Amino acid sequence: MGEILYHFFVYPGLLFAGVIGGLLAWFDRKVTAQVQFRKGPPLLQPFYDFLKLLLVKETILPARGSRATFLIAPILGLFGATAAGTFILLPLFNINIGFEGDVMVIFYLLTIPSLTYIIGALASGNPLASVGASREMKLIISYELTFLLFFAAIVLKADQHMQMSQIIQMQAQSGPFISSLSGVLLFIVGVFCIQAKMGMVPFDQAEAETELSEGSFIEYSGTVYALVKLTRYIMLFILPALLVGFLISGFNLSGTGIIWAILKILAVVLLMTLIRNTNPRLKIKQAMRFFLIGMNGLAIVAIILTYLSL
Amino acid sequence: MEALYYIIFLPIVTGILLLILPERLKPIKAGITLVVALMVLYMSIGMYGQHPEIISLPLVPEAGLHSSWMAKTLAGMSQFMSFNLDHLGQLIILFAAGFAAIISVYSLIYVTPQKKIFHFYPFFLITLGCAMGAALADNLLLFLFFWGVMGFTLYKLIKGKDPRSSAAAKKTLIIVGASDGIMILGVAIIWKLTGTWSMSQLSLATASSLEVTAFITLLVGSFTKAGAFPFHSWIPDYGENAPPPSSAYLPASLDKLLGIYFLARICIDLFRVNPTLTLILLIIAVTTIIIAVMMALIQHNFKRLLSFHAVSQVGYMVLGIALATPLGVAAGLFHMVNHALYKSGLFLSAGSIQEKTGQVDLDQLGGLSSKMPVTFFSALIFALAISGIPPLNGFASKWMIYQGIIDFGQTGGIASQLWIVWLALAVLGSALTLASFIKFISGIFLGRRKSAFDNLKEVNFLMWFPKLLLALTCIGFGVFATSWVVPHLFQPYTGTIEYIGIWESSTVSLLVVFSLILGGVFYLLGNVKNMRTADAFLGGEAIQEKAGYRVTEFYNTVRELRPLKGLYDKAEKSWFDIYYLFKNLFYGLHYVFKVLHTGVMTTYVIWIFAGFIIIMLWLL
Repeated sequence: MGEILYHFFVYPGLLFAGVIGGLLAWFDRKVTAQVQFRKGPPLLQPFYDFLKLLLVKETILPARGSRATFLIAPILGLFGATAAGTFILLPLFNINIGFEGDVMVIFYLLTIPSLTYIIGALASGNPLASVGASREMKLIISYELTFLLFFAAIVLKADQHMQMSQIIQMQAQSGPFISSLSGVLLFIVGVFCIQAKMGMVPFDQAEAETELSEGSFIEYSGTVYALVKLTRYIMLFILPALLVGFLISGFNLSGTGIIWAILKILAVVLLMTLIRNTNPRLKIKQAMRFFLIGMNGLAIVAIILTYLSL
Repeated sequence: MEALYYIIFLPIVTGILLLILPERLKPIKAGITLVVALMVLYMSIGMYGQHPEIISLPLVPEAGLHSSWMAKTLAGMSQFMSFNLDHLGQLIILFAAGFAAIISVYSLIYVTPQKKIFHFYPFFLITLGCAMGAALADNLLLFLFFWGVMGFTLYKLIKGKDPRSSAAAKKTLIIVGASDGIMILGVAIIWKLTGTWSMSQLSLATASSLEVTAFITLLVGSFTKAGAFPFHSWIPDYGENAPPPSSAYLPASLDKLLGIYFLARICIDLFRVNPTLTLILLIIAVTTIIIAVMMALIQHNFKRLLSFHAVSQVGYMVLGIALATPLGVAAGLFHMVNHALYKSGLFLSAGSIQEKTGQVDLDQLGGLSSKMPVTFFSALIFALAISGIPPLNGFASKWMIYQGIIDFGQTGGIASQLWIVWLALAVLGSALTLASFIKFISGIFLGRRKSAFDNLKEVNFLMWFPKLLLALTCIGFGVFATSWVVPHLFQPYTGTIEYIGIWESSTVSLLVVFSLILGGVFYLLGNVKNMRTADAFLGGEAIQEKAGYRVTEFYNTVRELRPLKGLYDKAEKSWFDIYYLFKNLFYGLHYVFKVLHTGVMTTYVIWIFAGFIIIMLWLL
C-alpha cells in the first residue's frame, strides 16, 4: 500500500506530474508569447501563480450556491487527473508494481476533471457559469465518441489488448503505431480530442474569457482555484503522454532515450500550442459538428484502414 | 423445502387477506406489509448459496383430505409445481426481496389518509410473492401464471384517477398484457417441439424457424417486462404518472430483475442463440441505449427523465447477456442489480422532492442541496453511479460490459467484427447519461435557490433512510466490485470469469479517500481565514430572478442540431411508440370496416352472395 501511495502522490503521480505539467504550462505560455512577439514569463511563473493562489489570495464562496459541493468538486477533479495520470505514467516509466488500470479505466478517469468543473460551476449558482457548464457538457458529448473511437482503434491495433503496458510493448516489438497511415490519422484525431479535453482554443467555449469571463471558473478564487490550476497542469502533461504512449511507442528511459522522451512530449504540446494560437474560438454548434462529422469520420476511416492493415 | 412455500405463498396469501381489510386500517396494513417483506428477505438470504436443485412441491399437505374431489384436483395440479432453485434464481429472489423490504419502509408514509392509492399494500405483497414465484418456477406454465399476475398488479399500483394517469395505466396494461399473450404462444411452441414444460430440461438450438419463433416470442415477453426498445413505451408514461414508490418498485427494480432474469434464462439455458440472433440482440441493445437516452436529454419533467433512463440502461444489460460469454453475462447481471439499486433510489429521491415541493418540473426547482442534504447526497451518488463514474458500482458493471465487448471481438463472425460499433455506442450512451443527469442534479439541487424554498426541511427518517441505504450499497458494490461482489454474487452462476483488463476498485477507492483528506489539508494550509462569501459576480450587472440560465435549456443546441431535430419532432409525436403505431393501425382498420358496414340490407346481401359464390368456386 505504501508503495502505491508513493507512486500515486509523489512519483509519477501528483507531485511529479504537477511539476512537469507546470513546466509544460510555462513552455506553452512562452511559445504563445513568441508567436505574439512578446517576451513571455520566466520559467517558474506557473509555480508562482499556483502558490500565490494557494497561500496568498483570498477565497470567495458563493453566497446563494451549494458551498460544500463547490469546495469538494475541485478535489475530486484533482483526484481524477492524478489517478488517470498514475495509470498512464506507470507503464510509460516502466514501473511495474502490479497496480494498473486498463485503457477503459483511463478513459473514464479522464472524464472526471471536466465533470467536476461542470458540477462546481453549477454549484456556484452564477448564470455565466451555467452557460459555461452547459457548453462544457455539450463539448464532452461531442468529443467523447471520437475519443472512444480513438481508444478502440488503438485496442484494435494492439490485437485486442486493453492494457497500456501491453500496447507499449507491442509497439516496441513491431514499431510505433504512427508509422502507418491509419496511425497518422489517429494522431490527428487524438490531438484534437486532447485539445478539447484541455479546453484550449478553438474549444474553449466553456471559459470564453471575452464573452463569459472564464465561464465555468468565474466564481473560483484563491485556494480552491489553485487546485483547479494544478489539475490543468497535470492534464497538460498526461494527455500528451497518453498520445505518446498510444502512438509513438512510449518512452525508453535509458541514455539518449530520455531526450527523445522529452522531445516527444514537447512536440505534442508545441502542436497544441500552435493550434490554439492560430485559430479562433468555434461556436459550440460548430465544435459539435466538427467532432460529430469531421473527427468521427476520420476516426472511422482510420479504423477501416486498420482492418486493412494499412 | 418449507421456506419455499413461505417466500412465495406467504406474501400472496397475506396480500389477498389484506384486500379484505378496510382501507381505514391502513397503518396496520402497512405494518403487516413491512413485516412480511422482512420475513421474505430473511428467508431469501437463508436460501442464498444453497446447492442448486429442482424441487417439486405438492400443493396439498400430506395430512387429511385424501379422497375428496378437491384433493384430487389439487393433486393433479401438483405436477406443475416444480421449482428450480439454482444460483440465478437465488440471486434474483435475494435482490427482489431486498428491494421490497427497502421500498416498503419508504412507503410507510403512504399510511396518511391524503395519499390515496387504493389497495397499495395488498398489491405490493402479491407482486412480491409472484416475483419470487416467477424467479424460481421451473415449469413454464407456472412461470407464466406468476409473470402474468405481475403484469396485472403493475396496473393496480398506479392510481388512474385523472385522465393522464389512467391513460398511462391502460397503455401499460395493454402492452404488458399483449406481450404475455405472445409468450403463451412461445411456450406452446416449445411444448409442441419437446413435450416438456420444464425449463431445466430444455436446450433448444435456434436452427429451425419454429425454434426461432419460440425464442422471439419469449424475447418479446422479457423485453416488455424489462423495457427494451421497441416495447419500452409504457415505462416513461408509467414513471411519470405512478406514485414514486410504485415506479421504484416495479419498472425500476422488480420488473428489471425479472425481465433480465428471463432474458438470461432464454439466452443461456433454454436456447443456444445463433449468430444472426446475437447480431439482432446487439442491435436492439445499442438502439435502446441511444434512443432512450436521447429522449431523456430533452425532458423537463424529472420523473419522465428518470423513466427514460430506466429504458436506456436495459440496453447495457441486453448487451452483456447477448455476448453470452461468462464475462458478458456476469456483466449484464451485475448491471441489472446496479441499475435496480440506483434507479429505485432515484425514483425515491424524486418522490421526496415531489413530496416536499409539490413540483415535478426541473424549471421550477433549484438550489435545494443545503436544504435537503441527505437527499442531495444520495441522489448525487445515484446520478454519478448511473453515469458510470469510477469508483462507483455503475462504472464497475459498465467496465465489465466494455471488456466483454472487446473480448467478444476476438471470436469471429459478423457481430464480433463490429465490436467497435457496440463499444462506441455504449460509451456514447454513457456520456449522454451523464449529460442528462447533470441536468437532473443541477436542476433540482444546484444553482440559485428560489426564495420560495427558503424554509424547506429535509424529509423524515422513513423517507431518507431507504435512500441512504441504497446509496451506501451503490458505493459498497463499487468499492468491492472485483474483490467481493462479482465472485460471490455472479460467478456461482456464470462460472469463473477471466478479465482482460484491470480495475482495482478497492485500492482506487482508498485513494479517493486519501485525496479528499489531502484536499482538506490543502484548504487548511491555504488561507481559510480569508474566506468570505459574496453573491455571484456578473461583471457588475445586477442579478435578476429571470436572468438565470435554466438547466432545461442546456441541450437545446442538441435538440436543434439538424439531423436530430427531425427525429426529435417525430419522436414527440409518438412515431416510434409501438402502442401508438398499433393504435393507429386498429383505428385504420376500424375505418375500413366502418365504410363497409353501411347498415343497408342490400349491401350485406351482396357480400353474402359474393362470399357464397367464392366458396362454391373453391369447392368445385
